[in-house]
Amino acid sequence: MESTVDNTAQRLNAVWHLESAAITGSLARLLSDLTQAEDIAQDTLLTALENWRAHGVPENPGGWLMVTARNKALDLLRQKKRRGEHLSSGDFADESLYRERLASEYAGGDLEAITAEFDVSRVREDEVGDDILRLMFICCHPLLPPDSRVALVLKLVAGLSVDDIARAYLVPVTTLAQRITRAKKTLSAARIPFELPPEKERQARLKSVLESIYLLFNEGYVATQGAQWTQPLLCHQALRLTRSLAALINDDTDVLGLAALLEYQASRLNARQDKDGNPVLLAQQNRALWDAILIRRGHDYLSRAFGLGSAIGSYCLQAGIAACHARAASFAETRWDEIVALYDGLLQIQPTAVVRLNRAVALACAGESDVALAELDAIARKKSLTEYAPYYAARGDVLERLGRFRDAGRAFHQAAELSQNRAENRVLSERAKACRL
Amino acid sequence: MSWMLIIREERGQRDTRSEDEGKAVYGEMLNFGAALAQRGVLLASESLRTDDSAVRIQIRDGDTRLMDGPFTESREMVGGFFLLDVVSKEEAIEIARQCPAAKFATVEVRELAPCYQK
Repeated sequence: MESTVDNTAQRLNAVWHLESAAITGSLARLLSDLTQAEDIAQDTLLTALENWRAHGVPENPGGWLMVTARNKALDLLRQKKRRGEHLSSGDFADESLYRERLASEYAGGDLEAITAEFDVSRVREDEVGDDILRLMFICCHPLLPPDSRVALVLKLVAGLSVDDIARAYLVPVTTLAQRITRAKKTLSAARIPFELPPEKERQARLKSVLESIYLLFNEGYVATQGAQWTQPLLCHQALRLTRSLAALINDDTDVLGLAALLEYQASRLNARQDKDGNPVLLAQQNRALWDAILIRRGHDYLSRAFGLGSAIGSYCLQAGIAACHARAASFAETRWDEIVALYDGLLQIQPTAVVRLNRAVALACAGESDVALAELDAIARKKSLTEYAPYYAARGDVLERLGRFRDAGRAFHQAAELSQNRAENRVLSERAKACRL
Repeated sequence: MSWMLIIREERGQRDTRSEDEGKAVYGEMLNFGAALAQRGVLLASESLRTDDSAVRIQIRDGDTRLMDGPFTESREMVGGFFLLDVVSKEEAIEIARQCPAAKFATVEVRELAPCYQK
């Protein structure tokens, strides 16, 4: 049976979603300017829509987009050169550099001929990989505030529209558009070169990329605002980015550790809310709903990370904790002692109040509620988590285990008051009520 | 959303290729898989041996039947698969269109879901 339904715009959207990172990355390298790269990318999309509607979708739509985008970029460079403008933030100011860049782009042949007929099959996969990687490094530059990095990555690497990103983050479209424009200006003003970071900067820059993806995932996993408990779109994009990163950099413990962590966390997405969208906590989750494929991918990444034999960082330790949950047949059968030990390790490299809080929760689950409560008191004395809903939720939990229901109810009530997420708020209020019965 | 691309190839097609030709086809499929991995959409992929060495098992009324391949009653056999994680059916179809196997075999696009769901 032959299908005749073939919506051009829909196809373009699908192709763009798959190829935007490679194309924008290639344009950014060619032009050394993110704003111009993005403008040309958008222009290419318009040209494609018009052309494909008139002449049908080409056989290799991704290649078509890449060639058209590069041609537009070359045209722009040529125009600028004719007007005697500087070709970019310094990189192309020198005529010989410009020629060299073009020559290396298209080995041999004169420009016109190349522009007319460019064989996409000559763009090697490793070159595409480098372009994607370079784009991730640029978008997550430590110079940018974290929320801008995430917005840039979603726009330029994931190829999402400003509308989609604004909706997921529950901010006005104009706010988000401004955030992206400002970020691009910052990068261009600082004349950040469009190159993979040199070896000595690489770890620091990579750390910034990983942090941004982690932030993106968490924002989707526990939406801090609004009525929805999760924002699957954000989680999904973070997963995609981290999988892509792990395919491009397969020998870094932190990259593989983060990939493992996100696979494990994502494996529980379907079990983390009921059909009405209410949060379901780990203890109550139906483990049959956990995604076995993602868990296996988590195990796979984690064993590859450990197999590298380098120092174990915080992502691997967190992934190790998630692996303990993934392996446990039930909440009660979880190896809480192992989890506490992993938190001990995590606390060594990341001595934050939140890690301490999570360790205290694990202690309580391991049957040491008294020690856990003492820990929570100690955290409270430091006054760092006084506005943090999960702190009071944990406190309620431990007090409930100790049979101190009245105090537990008060803690749950406080947690509910602090939570900005309506779905979470509902669950906490119910727990507070249950303690008073 | 997880989708599987199932490669259905004509039985005997592999025998028509020389070893070098076979390796070239396989290499093309590996490159395709690597590109999908770089784009973050590939969960798993495998190529399968022919069903000459396959076994089928059926238990009916307590009796177990083992049947040795090849299962020549069907014209096609499953030759391999790509397991994808994408945001839409359109994206899965787009990937299938670009799969080298679409040119010499049939690429079937299937969504993962519990068997009781329609």
